[in-house]
Amino acid sequence: MSDAIFNFADSRRALLGFTGRLVGFTLLATLMLIWLGPVLLVVLTSVKSNNDFLAGPFALPSHLTFEPYLKVWFALGFGPLMANSFLYATAGSALAVILALVPAFTLSRLDVPGKKLIFGIILTGLMLPQQTVIIPLYDTLRSLNLLDTRLGLIVVHAAYGMPAQILILRGFMTTIPRDIEKAAYLEGASDFQVFWRIILPLSVPGILVGFTLNFIAIWKEFVFGLVLLNSEANFPVTVGMLKLNSDRYMSVFNLPAAGLVISQIPIVILFILTYRKISEGNFAGATKG
Amino acid sequence: MSELLQAKQPSLFEFARAHVLATIFGIVMPLAVFAVFVGYPIAYTVVLSLYEWNGMTPTKTFVGLANYEYMLQDRYFYTALFNNLKWLAVTLVFPVCLGLVIAYSLRARILPFPTLVRTVMFFPVTMSLISVGLMFLLILNPLFGAFDTLLQSIGLGGLVMEWFGDYRVALYTLTVVSGWAFTGMPMIFYFAGLGDVPKDTFDAARIEGAGHPRMLVQIALPQLRPVTAVVVMLTIFESLRAFDLIAVMTKGAPFGTTNVLGYLVYLESFWNGRFGYGAALSVAILAVSVGLAAVVTRTLMRGAFDV
Repeated sequence: MSDAIFNFADSRRALLGFTGRLVGFTLLATLMLIWLGPVLLVVLTSVKSNNDFLAGPFALPSHLTFEPYLKVWFALGFGPLMANSFLYATAGSALAVILALVPAFTLSRLDVPGKKLIFGIILTGLMLPQQTVIIPLYDTLRSLNLLDTRLGLIVVHAAYGMPAQILILRGFMTTIPRDIEKAAYLEGASDFQVFWRIILPLSVPGILVGFTLNFIAIWKEFVFGLVLLNSEANFPVTVGMLKLNSDRYMSVFNLPAAGLVISQIPIVILFILTYRKISEGNFAGATKG
Repeated sequence: MSELLQAKQPSLFEFARAHVLATIFGIVMPLAVFAVFVGYPIAYTVVLSLYEWNGMTPTKTFVGLANYEYMLQDRYFYTALFNNLKWLAVTLVFPVCLGLVIAYSLRARILPFPTLVRTVMFFPVTMSLISVGLMFLLILNPLFGAFDTLLQSIGLGGLVMEWFGDYRVALYTLTVVSGWAFTGMPMIFYFAGLGDVPKDTFDAARIEGAGHPRMLVQIALPQLRPVTAVVVMLTIFESLRAFDLIAVMTKGAPFGTTNVLGYLVYLESFWNGRFGYGAALSVAILAVSVGLAAVVTRTLMRGAFDV
């Protein structure tokens, strides 16, 4: 099965002449240079010793060293930073998904009057630039004594993750055929039974995609962490890494480069495990219907 | 007729009686989350924009529209506003158009190794903008940076600039870096969208002798209007919430020329202690995003979705 847009595009060779293939490979080389090049360069820099670094950005290292990793790990305190980010991303996403499950079910499987309006209102949260709510959040969390607490940040992440999860899960649940639940309703099953016994188990792939995307989003998030936290002990990786842009770390690039690689490792692992599902556009498809 | 309609569409009240749990957890709960985390903060921001408040004292002084009057005379505000609009323009041209071209080239089998291309292009989307910013601080560094070295080695040393120091270039450096990280997003959306375009339309155009550029513009693009609407919306909000790259790369320097509204809100509120003015700037962001979203809804979205 081909994913090409032409019925007869089964082989590149048949479709493209020499010029076409030349254009294709030139485009490929350019894309790789611009998008893969910087990433590989950072990885290369991160395993260079100080002396090797001075030989120039493209020079291969005389020997591989993992010293920059050890140094930056302890200097910046990556242990607690990563643990915090992991906590925020896991708890925030789990809560967001849990909050979104019943709304997604209700808005995809039941005939709610005014469904589109309700859905639209919920989705405005997706489009909101964080800066427009950051002052009220700061003030509210402070009066609730949740400012600079891990719990406060998790609650905020969960609340702002929920709309995207409703969008993704609703899109996923819409694709589940209605026959099974019709039979269940005829046998006198309640909404809850249909949700719990039929829709929920069938939604597991959608839940995994939603959780993964939310996890990545929270791992990347910066504004909330910067404003709603004060103590370094609570910082996520993104806020902690700001320090890398200082003379102390920027004199030789192997330390910041190693820090960059460390911060991305959990996402790379997650990406390897799930990217096929995500990049197939499951979430792009969620905007349909 | 009316009876039939009624039987089909029960009132919200009837629905709530028939589906108690679904109403509570499926409708009331998410709307409550909306009210607490979106509705209330926005109302709060609008009200606060009429006050002067240093963020510490319990008292806030009512100053009417003074914050807005100040804003309209603040040259940092205009710089930031236009920077946001430039950011949006660059993002619409570079990552969005390029994402479309890549998606089309993949679907048309012009680009070889589709899985590799999609993985490599999508990878930066998963990186935090703090990491992206740090990465390009290293690469564009004037002393040890790989980019300048590369330019010099291929004889383009004359193009080397102070990528962050020159006030004429700094903002564009930021927007291009942001575009680098964003291109995978429109690519994925357009790739998915192209999969839904009926293959016969392309085959027919091909038989009539249309080349790829024409097929992209005249066949694919019109069919992709709903996707474009979503992508443009996404781009608008991404451009208006620009913050992270500025915080890690330039902090608004040189001379505030890389400030954007989002960063100005942060500076004025949390550094200068002018929360009332920060709130007024937040309202400006909100107004600009609602305005731009309305334009998109009126033009691109019209008839794009059967809502």
